[in-house]
Amino acid sequence: MLEFLVQRALISVLTLTLITLAVFTGVRLIPGDPARVLAGTDADEAGLEEIREKYGLKDPIPVQYLRWVGLLLRGDLGESIRTRESVARIVGLKLPITLQLAAYALLIALLIAIPTGVYSAVRRNSAWDYLASGLSLGGVSIPNFWLGIMLILLFSVRLGWLPASGYVPLSQDPRGNLERMLMPAFVLGAALAAVLMRQTRNSMIDVLGADYIRTAYGKGLSRRVVVFRHAIRNALVPVVTIFGLQLGALISGAVVTEQIFVVPGFGRLIVEAVFTRDYPLVQGVVLLTASAYVLINLLVDVAYSLLNPRIRVGGGAR
Amino acid sequence: MTAARAEAPAAAAALPAAGLVPAGRRRGRAWRRLVRRPPALAGTVVVLFFVGLAVGAPWIAPADPDRPDWSQIRKPPSTAHPFGTDDLGRDTFSRVVWGSRISMRAGVLSILLAMAVGVPAGLASGFYRGTLDQVVMRLTDAWLAFPFLVLAIGLVTLLGPSLTNATLAIGLGATPTFLRLTRGLVLATREEDYVQGARAIGAGDLRVMRRHILPNIVSSLLVQATVSIPAAIIGEAVLSFLGLGVQPPAPSWGTMLNTAQQFLEAAPWMAWWPGLAIFLLTLSFNLAGDGLRDVLDPRDY
Repeated sequence: MLEFLVQRALISVLTLTLITLAVFTGVRLIPGDPARVLAGTDADEAGLEEIREKYGLKDPIPVQYLRWVGLLLRGDLGESIRTRESVARIVGLKLPITLQLAAYALLIALLIAIPTGVYSAVRRNSAWDYLASGLSLGGVSIPNFWLGIMLILLFSVRLGWLPASGYVPLSQDPRGNLERMLMPAFVLGAALAAVLMRQTRNSMIDVLGADYIRTAYGKGLSRRVVVFRHAIRNALVPVVTIFGLQLGALISGAVVTEQIFVVPGFGRLIVEAVFTRDYPLVQGVVLLTASAYVLINLLVDVAYSLLNPRIRVGGGAR
Repeated sequence: MTAARAEAPAAAAALPAAGLVPAGRRRGRAWRRLVRRPPALAGTVVVLFFVGLAVGAPWIAPADPDRPDWSQIRKPPSTAHPFGTDDLGRDTFSRVVWGSRISMRAGVLSILLAMAVGVPAGLASGFYRGTLDQVVMRLTDAWLAFPFLVLAIGLVTLLGPSLTNATLAIGLGATPTFLRLTRGLVLATREEDYVQGARAIGAGDLRVMRRHILPNIVSSLLVQATVSIPAAIIGEAVLSFLGLGVQPPAPSWGTMLNTAQQFLEAAPWMAWWPGLAIFLLTLSFNLAGDGLRDVLDPRDY
């Protein structure tokens, strides 16, 4: 177990190193003086000199890289060109909003996917199963931003039930918060629900065909007990890994969703940073999302190995 | 722009056709199997319909997709303009028709790019294993850590927004999938008796890979391509919607939705059609892909 954890952690460190190398190279590929790139076009000579000093831009490239990584490790992601605020601070302000949106989306996805998937597997090839599979295929195929626009058209423009955009903190106005988050969370959760549902159904079907399920029926247990006590717990183990795999889609989805519903979160920040050519901000955001992806996948692997001891034996190779 | 438009249909037409025609004698059986699956057949027909739309856009579209008409601003659907007109008085139907070219081009070219990079790298990685495999796999790990949109955002920041860069970003984002799939298939195939036999009679590495391994994994790669193309089409639409892909006035479904969002109350039809087109095309690709998987799955033979 320890060996497996150490091995996975080492691979993650290696991956993170490659990510920093990729981002560092990317920023250096931007044409022009790197100091100008990091300080912005309207920085004066003193400002440029300060940047050169901080990042050691007169040193050889490998030294510059190491110095930059050193700053990253101390949490210094640089300053936004536009607002002069530290990138870490800006992200710290925006991230909770997106995490909240993601949490709602996840909740909606789970509430839809797990019961539907389990029921479809139990009543395999019934009308209900076909309907659920059809909806799942639709959920994967529908472009989330169009779904969002159609929801706004229906619930905000036509019916006037929900506000089309904006954000209110939960602590300030819980009702307003939920009203504004419902549509974006549903849009973000719909694709995830479709994927989760399919995975739940398939893994539930596998489990229901297993010997120990036949044994459970054989000793006279009712279907309800077999499904809830024996099958679901084992069927949900593979579903856990889907989270790690879907994380990238969730991040991409948040960017789009926040853009449609004007939610002032991390996703909107990314797009704004590109349009204002705020290179330090883009760099910080790209670094943070990639690192988060690696760390969360590490956690998923660990969680999976705790849930499923078989995977540990082969050192994670199978 | 004209030249770019002209080369798209050829590529767009090539892939679905190639996907539906596996090795000669299987053809009849594969086709019969497809016909027996109505959803897959319907999906294939709709995909072919969109291919026809992309190829025939100049003849099908009744109006110039980029020409504004100040007397026809934001008119609801009518006989003259079946899908209505947009904020500049352009015919939405014509723009949706021309938009199918951009979508097909981005979807097919990006996946071809992903395969052109991913398949050889996966072949080499799985065939030679060892250090090369380790290096390639670790690079893929890092590569995968950049979610598609974040990768695209990085590239667009570096290179600027355009259809070509969007296609490049989508292709690079899809590459690890093909790399890993190919590697896995090669690992399974290289131990087969016929591969060992070919090596025993002295076939070189390249020959073994090309003549003995590749033909046996190509159907799985094709299935992956059919399910990747709709994702790539959505990817292009998303990037263009965010303003990071195709730039106006070019008629991309994503850009059209971006504009439509500003006029939801006054001209909701502007938002209906481009989105419906994306939905229909990706849904059909997914249906066709599911069918193709069943048809080509070698386990059934």
